[in-house]
Amino acid sequence: MSRGLLAYSIGIVVFLAAPIVIVVGVAFTSADFVSFPPTGVSLRWFKRVISDPEFLGPLWNSAKLGVTSTFVSLALAVPAALALVRHRFRLGAAIQAFMLSPLSLPTIILAVGLLFFVARIGLAGTFLALVAGHAVITVPYVLRTVLAVYSGVNREVEEAATVLGAGPFRAFWHITLPLIMPGVLAGAIFSFLLSFDEVPVALLLSAPDTTTLPVSILSYLVYNYDPAVAAVSALQVAVIFVLLLVLERTFGLQRVMFTSSNK
Amino acid sequence: MARKDRPIGAIARAGYARAAGLIPMMLFLVVFFIGPLLVNFSQSFAGPGTMFREYRRIFTDGYYLLVIFQTVLLGCAVTIGCLVLGYPLGMAIARASGRLKAALMFAVVAPLLVNVVVRSFGWMVILGNQGVVNWIGSALGLAPLELMYTWWGITIALVHVLLPFMALSIASVLEGIDPRLEEAAKVLGANAFNALRLVLLPLSFEGIVTGSILVFTATVGSFVTIMLLGNASTMVLPLLIYQQLTVVSDWAFAAAMGTTLLVLVATLLWVQARFMRPGWRQARTV
Repeated sequence: MSRGLLAYSIGIVVFLAAPIVIVVGVAFTSADFVSFPPTGVSLRWFKRVISDPEFLGPLWNSAKLGVTSTFVSLALAVPAALALVRHRFRLGAAIQAFMLSPLSLPTIILAVGLLFFVARIGLAGTFLALVAGHAVITVPYVLRTVLAVYSGVNREVEEAATVLGAGPFRAFWHITLPLIMPGVLAGAIFSFLLSFDEVPVALLLSAPDTTTLPVSILSYLVYNYDPAVAAVSALQVAVIFVLLLVLERTFGLQRVMFTSSNK
Repeated sequence: MARKDRPIGAIARAGYARAAGLIPMMLFLVVFFIGPLLVNFSQSFAGPGTMFREYRRIFTDGYYLLVIFQTVLLGCAVTIGCLVLGYPLGMAIARASGRLKAALMFAVVAPLLVNVVVRSFGWMVILGNQGVVNWIGSALGLAPLELMYTWWGITIALVHVLLPFMALSIASVLEGIDPRLEEAAKVLGANAFNALRLVLLPLSFEGIVTGSILVFTATVGSFVTIMLLGNASTMVLPLLIYQQLTVVSDWAFAAAMGTTLLVLVATLLWVQARFMRPGWRQARTV
């Protein structure tokens, strides 16, 4: 890589990191107001946030929602991926395109439609409605990562298991699942992160007792502008970075991000 | 004979069991993805008054037309910004190797996963009247810049949010291009600019289109950043939909605007599908 390109990349990395670094910096301020550079260093805003039910409740909701919608996505996407790779469907490509299509739709449109839809079927304001909404968003990602790994798996290994007398479930559990595990794990972590970050669907579908963390940060930010938001944001950034490092170790970021354009 | 039959029959049966694996996801998406889109469409006709009343309102009122125009214009501005900044970045990702590549990937992907609310808050701190930009500016003796609640601030923040998508789309295509092609062009006398214009750009056209459509659709559908960094004068379609739902409670009108946005995005994706037909690129390169 040429020197110019390297210098440019460093500049862009600074640009990309700037707002995040600044939010984390503001969180450690000892002042009563948001200011950068921070005036004095303290943990007072972290202390306030971790004892504030206004953030703790939504944090718990977000975690619960992220885990539930991830499990729903796995239960739906893994069998679908197995079918798409191993069975020759007449409209295979079209089916796959349809299953990945929620990726291209702005979530605000889905959120508005879901709002009307859950009101009609009597699920308005429920946790179930939120899970359904988030699973629509996350399931294509899981499908994509599992497809990427499974298309590289040799089918003869599975056939050998079947010929030797393993039923479909045993063959899946002992042979296929271990082979596709990297894709499953990466999809699961990605799906959790997406749900954990998602705003439009959560904003329109959640009730006061099911509000998620990003939604509560957003509404707090609309009415107040103090370092408490920075502290809760910094905590969220920490969670995301830990998960991202796990993702890099288990699967490699490049494979998660680059599988999209090949499909 | 039964013994001979068994394994092949078992494989066939396993095949059918697998084919059935498609059913749950299919059903789920039909109910919770197609269902809401259809309900949204029917809701847009549910208002009082004549048929298409809501759509007539959108397309005859100067204000709503302005909002649609602003939404599309913002989409174009952010796409161009991401393209100009993202192409060299994509090139850097494609050419880096080893630890440098891993580090670069991490730096580009990590912000993508940090919540948009958090990132927009960061930009509020940077762009605000007492923010970082004006703090640096005043130290240098410059006049304060008005960036909060302007299109400039919104565009900068959205370019930041969506730049990784563009860079990754371009990088994934550039990685597939043989570096010797560019070298050959240079050996044959092309300067760096001509090698880029005549060799790299045409070959990476697909990545540019994919990235641009991704960024454009995300921009015309984004509203958190605009909600936090804008005000009433920087209104866009998604924010207007949200207001109609929560402030005015005009569901039919909100649904009609949702459908308008959907048609806008779907048209673009259709154009992309046409452009990406396999034969198209060959026809161009001949």
